[in-house]
Amino acid sequence: MDSDSKSQASDTVETLQKEAEILKKRLEEERQKLNDVTLEQVAERLDCVSCPNIKPRRTLKGHQAKVLCSDWSPDKKHIVSSSQDGKMIIWDAHTTNKEHAVTMPTTWVMACAYAPSGNFVACGGLDNKVTVYPLILDEDVSLRKKTVGTHTSYMSCCLFPNSDQQILTGSGDSTCALWDVESGQLLQSFHGHSADVMSIDLAPSETGNTFVSGSVDKMVLIWDMRTGQCVQSFEGHESDVNSVKFHPSGDAVATGGDDATCRLFDLRADKEIAVYSKESIIFGANSVDFSHSGRLLFAGYNDYTVNVWDTLKCVRVWLLYGHENRVSCLQVSPDGTALSTGSWDCTLRVWA
Amino acid sequence: MEALVKEMQDTESGGVPVRSQKIFLTSIPAAFMGYDLIEWLIMRLEIEESEALNIANQLCQYGYFFPISDSKNLVVKDDSSLYRFQSPYYWPWRNKPPDNVDYAIYLTKRSLRNKQRHGLEEYELEAFTNLKRNLSNKWDIITAQAEEQVKNQKSMKKPDKLISDSQEKAYWRVHRPPPGILGSLEQVPVPTRCWNGVKPRKKTIEDCKREVELLKTSLYRTRIKVSQALEGLLQHVDTYTEFDPLLVPPQPSNPWVNEDITFWQLNAPLVDIPTEKRVRKWGLSMEDLLGDPTGVQEFTNYLQKEKSEENILFWLAVNDLRRSSQSQVLWKIQEIYENYVKHGASNEVNIDNQTMDKVLEGIKNNSRFCFDAAQEHVYNLLLKKDCYPRFIRSDYYKNLLSNGIQPLQKKRFFGFGPTKKKASTTSQPNQSQGSQSSTTVVPCGGALSKRRGSDRSLSGSAHEISHFGVSSGTHTTIIKEPKVPHSHSQSNLSDIPYRVKKPSIAPGASTSEEVCPWETPSTPPRTPTRNRKNSTHLDSEDSSSDISTGVTEMSEKVQRCLLTQQHTLDCGKKLHVDTYETPRRASVSVPITHNNSSIESARRKVSSFEDNSTTASAIHAASSVFVIPSEKDNKLNKKPVDYALSISTTSATMKASQKSHGFAKTCSMSSGAPIISVSSATDDVVVVDCPFNPELAPEEDVDGAHGENPTLEVTTYEVQVPSHPETTPPSISITMQEPKAPLAEPDIESPATELPPSEMPVTNEDVALAECVTDCENDEATTVKPSEGEDDEARNTDVCPWEDEENCKVNTPFVKKYATLGYL
Repeated sequence: MDSDSKSQASDTVETLQKEAEILKKRLEEERQKLNDVTLEQVAERLDCVSCPNIKPRRTLKGHQAKVLCSDWSPDKKHIVSSSQDGKMIIWDAHTTNKEHAVTMPTTWVMACAYAPSGNFVACGGLDNKVTVYPLILDEDVSLRKKTVGTHTSYMSCCLFPNSDQQILTGSGDSTCALWDVESGQLLQSFHGHSADVMSIDLAPSETGNTFVSGSVDKMVLIWDMRTGQCVQSFEGHESDVNSVKFHPSGDAVATGGDDATCRLFDLRADKEIAVYSKESIIFGANSVDFSHSGRLLFAGYNDYTVNVWDTLKCVRVWLLYGHENRVSCLQVSPDGTALSTGSWDCTLRVWA
Repeated sequence: MEALVKEMQDTESGGVPVRSQKIFLTSIPAAFMGYDLIEWLIMRLEIEESEALNIANQLCQYGYFFPISDSKNLVVKDDSSLYRFQSPYYWPWRNKPPDNVDYAIYLTKRSLRNKQRHGLEEYELEAFTNLKRNLSNKWDIITAQAEEQVKNQKSMKKPDKLISDSQEKAYWRVHRPPPGILGSLEQVPVPTRCWNGVKPRKKTIEDCKREVELLKTSLYRTRIKVSQALEGLLQHVDTYTEFDPLLVPPQPSNPWVNEDITFWQLNAPLVDIPTEKRVRKWGLSMEDLLGDPTGVQEFTNYLQKEKSEENILFWLAVNDLRRSSQSQVLWKIQEIYENYVKHGASNEVNIDNQTMDKVLEGIKNNSRFCFDAAQEHVYNLLLKKDCYPRFIRSDYYKNLLSNGIQPLQKKRFFGFGPTKKKASTTSQPNQSQGSQSSTTVVPCGGALSKRRGSDRSLSGSAHEISHFGVSSGTHTTIIKEPKVPHSHSQSNLSDIPYRVKKPSIAPGASTSEEVCPWETPSTPPRTPTRNRKNSTHLDSEDSSSDISTGVTEMSEKVQRCLLTQQHTLDCGKKLHVDTYETPRRASVSVPITHNNSSIESARRKVSSFEDNSTTASAIHAASSVFVIPSEKDNKLNKKPVDYALSISTTSATMKASQKSHGFAKTCSMSSGAPIISVSSATDDVVVVDCPFNPELAPEEDVDGAHGENPTLEVTTYEVQVPSHPETTPPSISITMQEPKAPLAEPDIESPATELPPSEMPVTNEDVALAECVTDCENDEATTVKPSEGEDDEARNTDVCPWEDEENCKVNTPFVKKYATLGYL
């Protein structure tokens, strides 16, 4: 990532970069010292995961353009999805009914998220803003919208960190930011990526003060939300990191990238511990998520498929066909009973 | 990705099978057949045919090869149709996405040539004219170039010309697809997503410094061996596999697979009887326990029993503080300090000096993280190493475990789905029907009673004191009328029965059908009988409980309302709730305990009403009124202190056909509810009654819910008042909210805005729970009552999983009320 020490780079930048290079090498050495075994070896003794019989159970039709993002409601039944044409739809996925449809004043709504209470959704995209909508049954939702934060570039991802009162966003301006919903105040910004942040995920603990971000600069960074400092970084991907997800144990992070691989990084071992790739998978992964136990990793790809990986044995155990265009987003439901996928073919599907 | 694609292409050109010039009757140069391609892919990648086909199609979409005969559809078929490779020059990632000038040249070229073979399609013509207009200033150059290229082409040999022609055409087919066809090459309009890869932003010195800093620190990070880490992962997966619904089918069934939502009902965030599996999960780790609202509840109850709940409360409060909105941080810090940290605080947490210094330092800065050090201390040393292990080893936990619901086979559920669900949700053991499916449930009931005995505030429902009245107000109008007078009478007496209405019904009438499959016609017939029973026997509750709880609740409600009113009038005598399997239903017993003749009369009236209502409406709106006169209070003082807590849970489940009825009912219900509330609130408080009714009635769809909403609001207000017991319990100010406000509003806004003095905004379920817990703690006596309320609520939630939130919110207010009672 330091390759472009271009002509006008000042001395200090150059020296600093050199220093960084040296440090990186030492770091790699340190990591290697403890690299005594591979995941495949350890997982050899395991039984193969029993093939889950996952089938499409619901198809949500109604978007007029590419579905770009979706999120499960904490009630395990509803889904919010956003699309390229600026529409945001709240679905009762179980009945496949639409409960709300909101038109955003922008196209490419690339992020949407349910609040933990289920009473709000946040979304944003090329408008660079994150907007919160209260979910009110019989009122025009858009009348009550509230713009919470504004980035200097498109907003690629957002989530509520265990609270309705705050929103965490990632943006094309290569930063992440934590906002106070009520006042719209910027509580904390997170600088460290050198390119667009594509995805963020919150650590799965109650006190969780950390989150992970993945970026076009191929880096995966772990952040301390309190201090705004990056506390850990992982390299490995050969191309953009499109999606990051914490392992349910909180000790590892899975990523999906444009290099057609998914990877697993362990926080405690401080290194990459698995690469999920296959010769026949040559298209980028847009979105990843774990099953509740962490045994399965679902990944949505640009080749219209969802591959299901056995995270421990590092083999693909299942391949889900159904969508007729890229799978753009994917998420396991809060209680782990189902998997939702959104695609450029304008539909969402629920698998179980 | 591009690299991979290229590599693939290379392998092909590198002599790996497919690349063959198939010559077909009239020799078609440089082509290959579909099945050859597929076969090669299968061999090369060791994949199955379907996947190979998928990949081939993808590559075709991206323009790496194209069908020769069909220029319209970029589809690869596994047959003998012919395809041709695109020349690398045209590969997608070789060059930037083509601009309009190129396109114009291409179109001009074609227009210059043989009309027959190179004629433009309609959409191309359109594009052509558009381009001509837009690029008029460059048009000369464009035509010149086009002519040039045509000339060049003519000098080529015929086969070459054919190939390059087709390749060019295919290229534009990919990049300028006909309208209506989604191109997979469409870019994300995100700056970095440009094809050639945009240069990364130039690094500033700051960036570099930051990076170096990070690298330095990470160099000395403590790591564990990879083997250790992997072992940990394996173990985690191993432990949790049984809790992974996608690996191990959930019991009783996955709601996405067979529409049966029992699973969700059993596993609602807040339930009075968690499933056995859930309880088992709590035992895995403290995080699992605290990650589950019900788990937190049970844990708190247990600690309360042990008189050491301050730790968990503190922990919860700090967690809330960390994520609360900026404007609330200050007073929340203050509150936590006052309640838990300050020397001599009511719930002082045991913190060592060093940590205390840190905390004090943080408080000075008003940092929302100021208690983090203390929280960590409490969490690791006290909760995790002390309380949690004790909890897991305790009989309390074992009881939970042994009493946990063990969902069985689907069949049972289907057979008795309705009863069971309700039973589980309401935690009512079905006595009458219990024999069928509720055998599992019944023990739960017993468990409940135990828990109650053991101070189980939240979950344990039945208290001796509290009365649970369930009345079914199916006919709203009828019920209302009778109720109203009673309520008034109560008000006159200055007894304060609090009335809380819960919306237990599904949000959408339409959904309700599907959502509440258990609520089927079968239940309605039973209900009338029960109602009658109720009228005749106080025991109606039991029977009702056995049957669909909703129905029973409704009928009981009515009665209880009346009863409660009377009770309140009577200055609320001690109500002993027998710990029946159906503890809440115990309320039935309560009326008995009441010696008031008036009550009896009321009952009769009620019963009559119930009958009418039930018969008339097949649908059931179940409203349960809890009359909880605080025993102590009652006896000690016949003052307004006696609060009759009446909780009416209206569950209006209707069939589609009965929807209209349902509406009417709901409306009526809602109206009735406000009335009741008014009566209860009458003492000192503002009456919130009438206005709601009219407004509610008009509301349509989510009728049940909407109608109930206003009532909910009312209740919440009331609750709030009591929540500040220390102030003046008798003086209660009820603020009216917009009746029409959707569910979400009351939950979020109302509590937050109006309850600011109260400990916390009820917005979050967790928060609400926490509050409840705190309240409960404050009043030990009260705890029992809240438990009942919560149970009911929990049941409601169970019934309608989607309304969990609402219910929870509602619950919190209940709790508060109870708490206040305890204070009194």
